Amino acid sequence: MIELLDTIVRGTGLGALYALIAIGFVIIFRATGVLNFAQPIFMIFGTYMSYLVAVQWGLPFPVAVVIAVCAGALVAMACERVALRPMVGRPPFSAALVTVGLFAAGLVVTTKLIGHGVITSGDPWGLSNFCLGGERREMAVAITGVPAACDGGVSIAHTDLAKIIAATLAIAALGWWLTRSRYGLAMRATASDPEVAMAQGISAGKVFALSWGIAGAFAALAGVLLGTAPGGVAALGALIALKAIPAIIVGGLDSVKGAVVGGLIVGLSEALTKTYQPGIAPWLGSNFDIVMPYLIMLVVLMIRPQGLFGTKEVQRV
Amino acid sequence: MRSRSRRWGTALVAAPAILALAAATACTAVDDEEDVTAGVGVTEEPCPDAVNADNGCIYLGVLSDLEGGPFAELGAQIQQGQLAFWRSVNEDGGIAGYDVDISRYTRNTAYSVDQHATEYQDIEPHVLALAMSLGTPQTESVLASMDSSNLVAVPGSWWSGLHFDDADRGLILESGYSYCTESVIGLDWFSEEYGTPETLLTVGYPGDYGSDSAVGATRWAEANDVEVLAQIDTAPNAMVQNQDAAVEQILSQQPDVVLIATAPGEAAEIVAKAVSRGYDGRFLGSVPTWNPRLLETAAIGALTARYNHVGPWQGWDGDSAALSAIRESLDGRLPDNQGYIFGWVWSYPLKSLLEAAADDGELSRSALRAAIDGLEVDYEGALPNRTFGEPPAFDEMSATISVPDAEVELGTRAIADGVTATTEVEYDAPCVQP
Repeated sequence: MIELLDTIVRGTGLGALYALIAIGFVIIFRATGVLNFAQPIFMIFGTYMSYLVAVQWGLPFPVAVVIAVCAGALVAMACERVALRPMVGRPPFSAALVTVGLFAAGLVVTTKLIGHGVITSGDPWGLSNFCLGGERREMAVAITGVPAACDGGVSIAHTDLAKIIAATLAIAALGWWLTRSRYGLAMRATASDPEVAMAQGISAGKVFALSWGIAGAFAALAGVLLGTAPGGVAALGALIALKAIPAIIVGGLDSVKGAVVGGLIVGLSEALTKTYQPGIAPWLGSNFDIVMPYLIMLVVLMIRPQGLFGTKEVQRV
Repeated sequence: MRSRSRRWGTALVAAPAILALAAATACTAVDDEEDVTAGVGVTEEPCPDAVNADNGCIYLGVLSDLEGGPFAELGAQIQQGQLAFWRSVNEDGGIAGYDVDISRYTRNTAYSVDQHATEYQDIEPHVLALAMSLGTPQTESVLASMDSSNLVAVPGSWWSGLHFDDADRGLILESGYSYCTESVIGLDWFSEEYGTPETLLTVGYPGDYGSDSAVGATRWAEANDVEVLAQIDTAPNAMVQNQDAAVEQILSQQPDVVLIATAPGEAAEIVAKAVSRGYDGRFLGSVPTWNPRLLETAAIGALTARYNHVGPWQGWDGDSAALSAIRESLDGRLPDNQGYIFGWVWSYPLKSLLEAAADDGELSRSALRAAIDGLEVDYEGALPNRTFGEPPAFDEMSATISVPDAEVELGTRAIADGVTATTEVEYDAPCVQP
């Protein structure tokens, strides 16, 4: 039971990370109809900015988070202005290919920035954790930076908790903003019918830029949280963001709620598979957890092609 | 009077003899350079930016992960170490009237088998040998072509197959132990230090690295009646997001010792998570599991307390002539990581081979290949000297065991040097096929 609870906590933390990235995909898709494959770059850029500010410059971690999120938003908006705005009116497929090019170019740039080693976000949590319902084990020799093990209880890593809380706050703030602000209303209007929205005086360009900015900010926040890994993150860690694709397919391409649910499903399925599959079904081989999100995606697509919360497309013939 | 005339007589006889000997010596000196037959990759024109403008040039190729691949950080430093090594050779006058150039035909492979093969085709017609061919599957992909071209190479790998001519066709100038024997040496050291473990577990990337290491551990376990609880195949975090699967198995199986053969970030994560969740055992990490940047991560406490790094030769704090020369080559600066040392040490056999072929009067590919059998290599104390032509004696392979230490340059402090295996295991073929 304790092992299961431990796994659920870790899976939820992982799911929160995926949800943040998935929301970026959804926000851009709803506003522009384009799948943005450059999201991984904004994520790893967030990790790098946090490393730069907190580790290299020695500024407090909260300052690093704010700067990383703002920088992620600005870079994403700049990408939209330079590479995507000229694609307005072109087929979404062409625009999506441009984002693939952005991804490739961005990976080269971030690899140059980060180098070939590992970096961290400079977070204050390290390996610290809460021990719920158990007792700390007596350690013969204390190890610097390593808490005593939690015997008979659930061990909740502060980094997992940070992921869950940060994602919850960010998603709640986005939900509030989308429903209560003028810009949020404009985004929703543009998402539902761009031409009618423009006829009502809404600037589609501003909405596009805003959607990219939000996606960049969310991805950068995910990057900061990714950089809390105890062994650090390499530049190629950007590829982790692609796990958000099965999440948005499962949840629904145009649903923020679906992105959150999809992210959590993918995170939990991965964590549970990592913990139990080697013992229960070793014949499935190593690293089967990589396959699990795609299996779930396949099942969902067969049952509900639009995803769990996606809008069903109706074609009149 | 008689004695004076005898002295004059002696002088008269000796003078022409001395002159003749001097002339012969002078001729020999000239002939040494003129009698060397040059083959592909050797020119009479000086190298670009030659140290010795009067020397000809030997061109050596480099195929390495310099950018974009998983071992780029190591590859870039290996390249710097090799550049420094050959620069020092050139500053000492070069080899038989030739400077050595490894810059002109350096190509980035990004650790891709396809790219490695493509770049190989590009540089192969222009080089005498390969000063570096990084990666086992990559090298294997061009081995048939190397065989038909008689192209000798220095490998950027410790796969066990490189110790055996059947696997590397006698073309590869490997140095030090293999991942397979590294496990045996490491576990023997562990037993000496902490007592023979009852159980062990291996975690690694499948293939020529992790599997080679795991097979060595398994053979050691069989010889010492130790139970191998699991052989966990994992992958880089870019693929699997985190190492929780390996950590869960370590926690559930509770082995006495875990052997890790992954990249540094993944190794650090495994150690940190397992220790923080109550694992009481220890970890032995293969050569590529350490990177000085780990000193900046949350894992460093756990690594310092429970992890030992196994290296093929002395580290930065080594006291051999080779390490002194390496440190001197940087004028007090620090390399980014141990790759610089790898690049330097890996270059000794090729230098010895070029000298041996030059001594035999022919700097050609076939002459180089022929000179491998019986080649004696002096590693200037970084490794025991070795004679090529047969697999290295198992009990002569040695390792350096280190612990992470932030106070030491490059972050690891040697605690045991020249460690050799005491367990005899079967080692007459590659431990694993890549």
